[in-house]
Amino acid sequence: MSTLVQPGAPASTVASPRPGAPPLIELQNLSVRFGKRDILCNLTASLQGQAIGLLGPNGAGKSTLINTLLGFYKAYSGSARVFTHDIRTGMRQIRSLVGYMPENDAFISKMSAVTFVQMIGELSGLPPDMALERAHEALFYVGLAEARYRNLGTYSLGMKQLAKLAQAIVHGPKLLILDEPTNGLDPSARQRMIRMIREIRDTREMRIVLCSHLLRDVEDTCDEVLILKGGQIAHYSNIDEERRANKRFLELETYGANGNFTTAIEKLGCECAISANRLKLVLADGINSSDIFRLAAQQNVRIRRLNFRRDTLEDIFLKAMES
Amino acid sequence: MNDRIVFEDVSKFYGEILGVNRVNLSIPPGITSLVGPNGSGKTTLMNLMTGLVRPSRGKIQVLGYRTDDPDNLFKILGYSTQFDAFPKGLTGFEFLYSYLRLSGQDASMCERLAWRAIERVNLTEAAHRKVASYSKGMRQRIRLSQALAHDPKVLVLDEPLNGLDPLARAEMIALFRAAAAEGCYVIISSHILHEVDIISDQVVMLSNGYVVAEGNIQSVRGEIQEHPTQIMIRCNHPRALAARMLDSNYTIEISIHKDEHGLLLKTRDADRFYLALNEMAINGIEIESIAPADDDALSVYEYLIGSEEVAQ
Amino acid sequence: MAIYRRSYKPYTGSLTPAWSRFLVLFRYSRKTLFRSKLQTGLFVVCFFFPLLCLGAIYLAHNASFLAQMGVPPQILTIDNRFFFHFLGVQSVLAFLLTAFAGPGLISPDLANGALPLYFCRPFSRAEYVLGKSSVLAILLSEVTWIPGIVLFIVQSSLAGASWTWQNLWIAGSLILSSLIWIAILSLLAMALSAWVKWRIVAGALLLAVMFFGAGFGQAINAVLRTDSGYFLNVAYLMTTIWKGMFDMPLDQTISSFDAWVALLLYCAVCLWLLLRKVRAYEVVR
Repeated sequence: MSTLVQPGAPASTVASPRPGAPPLIELQNLSVRFGKRDILCNLTASLQGQAIGLLGPNGAGKSTLINTLLGFYKAYSGSARVFTHDIRTGMRQIRSLVGYMPENDAFISKMSAVTFVQMIGELSGLPPDMALERAHEALFYVGLAEARYRNLGTYSLGMKQLAKLAQAIVHGPKLLILDEPTNGLDPSARQRMIRMIREIRDTREMRIVLCSHLLRDVEDTCDEVLILKGGQIAHYSNIDEERRANKRFLELETYGANGNFTTAIEKLGCECAISANRLKLVLADGINSSDIFRLAAQQNVRIRRLNFRRDTLEDIFLKAMES
Repeated sequence: MNDRIVFEDVSKFYGEILGVNRVNLSIPPGITSLVGPNGSGKTTLMNLMTGLVRPSRGKIQVLGYRTDDPDNLFKILGYSTQFDAFPKGLTGFEFLYSYLRLSGQDASMCERLAWRAIERVNLTEAAHRKVASYSKGMRQRIRLSQALAHDPKVLVLDEPLNGLDPLARAEMIALFRAAAAEGCYVIISSHILHEVDIISDQVVMLSNGYVVAEGNIQSVRGEIQEHPTQIMIRCNHPRALAARMLDSNYTIEISIHKDEHGLLLKTRDADRFYLALNEMAINGIEIESIAPADDDALSVYEYLIGSEEVAQ
Repeated sequence: MAIYRRSYKPYTGSLTPAWSRFLVLFRYSRKTLFRSKLQTGLFVVCFFFPLLCLGAIYLAHNASFLAQMGVPPQILTIDNRFFFHFLGVQSVLAFLLTAFAGPGLISPDLANGALPLYFCRPFSRAEYVLGKSSVLAILLSEVTWIPGIVLFIVQSSLAGASWTWQNLWIAGSLILSSLIWIAILSLLAMALSAWVKWRIVAGALLLAVMFFGAGFGQAINAVLRTDSGYFLNVAYLMTTIWKGMFDMPLDQTISSFDAWVALLLYCAVCLWLLLRKVRAYEVVR
C-alpha cells in the first residue's frame, strides 16, 4: 500500500466518478416484502455517484435495501444490479466486489484484530500470506496500529467500529457500504471516521454508500443522496449541483447588527429573514455581496459568518419528507 | 441557591476507579450540554445529579433539594438513560403509566399524563404495541417521554438523540428548546458537537473525570489565550486579500489554501479584522464565504481535550 | 532518497479457488480449538485406549508370551466383538470431545453478530456449515475410525491374508458406524450451538440431550411397558445400529432398521434447525 508522494499533485475537491464509469447501483421496480408487509415498493433509480448518502426516517427501508443488495433478503419482484451484476443471478460476484460495515456489533471475541481481519480476508479469496499482509495494512490505515494484537473483546466501542471498517476494506472492494459508521463514537473518533471516509472517497478506488441519520455526516462526505420514505424513493439528486444552484441565497451571522441593518437590506430590494441569530436573505437582481458589505461598513456591523446557503441537505430532506 | 443545580467539590470513585474528581458546577436554567470522550464522567455526573449514585465527597443540590431525597427530587426531575433496557412484556403505554403511578398520582391523572407524553413524542399509534417490538428510534422516544411525562423542572437526558432520524431529531430539539424557554433546566449529553453548538446555552466539557471548561461556547473560546482566533475566508483573490491583511498589526498568521481560493487567518483582534474586511470587500475583493474556523464546540473540544489516539 | 507514504491500494493479486474457501474456517477453528489445554489433553487421552488395543493385538499373536503369563489364548481373540467394543469406548470419548469442542464453533459467531460479516462475502451458508462441521468431523474421525483402521491393518498384517479376507467387512462396518456417530454428534452439537449464545450452556445442553433423553426414554419404557422409549435414547439407537453392523446379537427391543430411520430423522431435524439460525439477518415479522 505504499506509494511515492508526488509533489504538486492537485487535491480533488469535487468527488465525481470518472466519465464513462458504469452506474453503481441500478434498481428496476424492486419490491421486497416480509410476509404480507411491503417494505420496499417498486423502487427505480440509477445511482452513479462516487459517494452516495442513503437517508430516510426509521422504517423507511434503508437497511432492507442494503440487505437486499447484499443478498440477505430475497427480492419479491423487480430487479436490481450492482456494478451490472444482477442480484438474483450474480450475487457471488456482487459480494466479491462489496465491503460491508454493519451498524450493529460484529466481531468474534476471542480473536485478535489481526487474526480476525486476516480470516475475513481469506474468506474473500485472498491467499493466506497476502491476507496477513493486507490485514496489517488495513489496521494501520484505520488507526488501530497499536492495538492490533489485542483481543477484539477488549476493544472500546470506537475501536470496534474501526475494526469493522478494516474488515470491510481488507479485500479491496469496489463498493463500500457503511451503515451508521459514527454510531456511539465520541467527537474525536467521529472526526477520524469522517476524515477516513473522505480519504477513502478521494482515492477514487472505492465507491461508497453511506447510510446515516446525521445529515451533517452525509453532507460532508457524499456527492449524491437518495432519500427513502415509506419504502419508496422520496428524492434522489446530486448535492453539489443543488449547492451550486443556490447562488442567490445568502446567510449571515453578525455582531453589532440591529433593526437598521435589516431595514437597509430590505431597502435594497432583498428579502430577508432572521432565524436563530442567523440572517437569511435573497439577493435581488443587480445586488451582490459587496453591496451588503458596504451596508455593514456604514453601520459598523461585523460579519462573522457568511455563506451561500449552507444547509442544503436539511432543506432537501425536509422537502422530501413533506411531499 | 435554590435556582441552580449545584455541585460543590464533588468527587466519585468506584473503588479505585475515578468517576469524577473535584467537580464544581453551578448550572442555570436553559439547555446545558455535557461533552467529553467516552469514559470522561458524563454518565457519572448525571447519575450523581439524579441521586442514583452517591458522591464519595462533596455536596450536590438540585434546586435546593438534596439528591439523597428521591421522594422530593424526582417530583421535579426526569431522567432518560443511555441504556436500552426495558421491563419485559410491557407495551409503550403500560411502561409510561406504571412509572407514573409510582410517583403517587391517581389513575386517571396518570393516564392523562401518559397519553400526553406519548403524543409529544409522536408515538400514539405504537403505544399499544410491546416495547420489545419497537425500532431503536422508537425505544429512544419512549424513554424520553418517560422522562418528561410529569412535567419536571429538571430534565437529565443521556444521549437523547441517539438513533433518531433527522426529522425526529429536529422535533426533539424543538421540544427541548420549548422546555428551556419555560425555565426548565435541560441537561443533555451528546457527541454530536455541531448540534451542541446549535441548541445549547452553555456547555460543560469533561475529560478524564475533570471539568475542563464550562460556560457559553464563544466565551470559553475567548478565554483560550494560547490560541488566537482563526477565521477562514474563501474568495477569488486570496493573495491580494492576504497582502492587505498582513499590512495591519492584528494579523498574526495567514495560510493560503491549497486550491488558491481561500485563506486561513489567525488574529488577536477579530473585531477589528471584521471591520477592515468590510472595507476590503467593497474595494474589489469578492468574498464567497466567511467562517470562524474554531469558534464552535468542536474546535474548543479539540483544543482542550485534544484528538487523542483512538487506541488507548 | 524517496519518501513513502502509506495510503490505500486496491488488491490486484490472484484469488484462491472458490471451492476451497470453507477450509479457511476449518484451519482457523482448529487452531482455536487446540489453544485450549483441556481440549488438547482430552484429545491425547483419547489415544490411550487405542494404544492398549494395539498392545492386545500384539499380545494375541504372541502365544508364547501368553503361555508364560499363564493366560489362555482364547481370551484375546481379535474379531468383530473386539472392534465393536473398541468403537464403544472411543465413541464415548468422541462424545466428550464434542461436548468440549462443539459449542465453541458457532456460538461465538452468533453472540457478537459476526454472521453478516461472513455472508456479505462470496461465501454461502452451506460453505459455512461445511467449514464448521469439517472441524468436528476430522477431529472425531481422528479418534474413532482412523485409529480403528490402523488397528485393523496391524491385525491383518499379523494374522495373514485369510483372516483379512474373512474379516474385511469389519473395516467397512467400522468406518460406516463411526461416520453415522460423527454425523449425529456434529449436527446435534452445532444445532445447539447455533440456538444458544453461550458456549457453556450449549455444552451442557448437549450432555442434557443425551442423558435426559436416555433417562426419559427409560422412564417411558417402565411406565408404559413398551420399547418405544428407546427412540429417545440416542446412544441406544446408535448401539443397536452398531450391533447390526458388527453382526452381534441384538436385544429384541427395536429393529436395526427402525434405529436407522430414527437417527436419520434426528440428523435431518438438526440440519434444519442449524440452517434456520445460520443466516445473516433474521426476518422479523
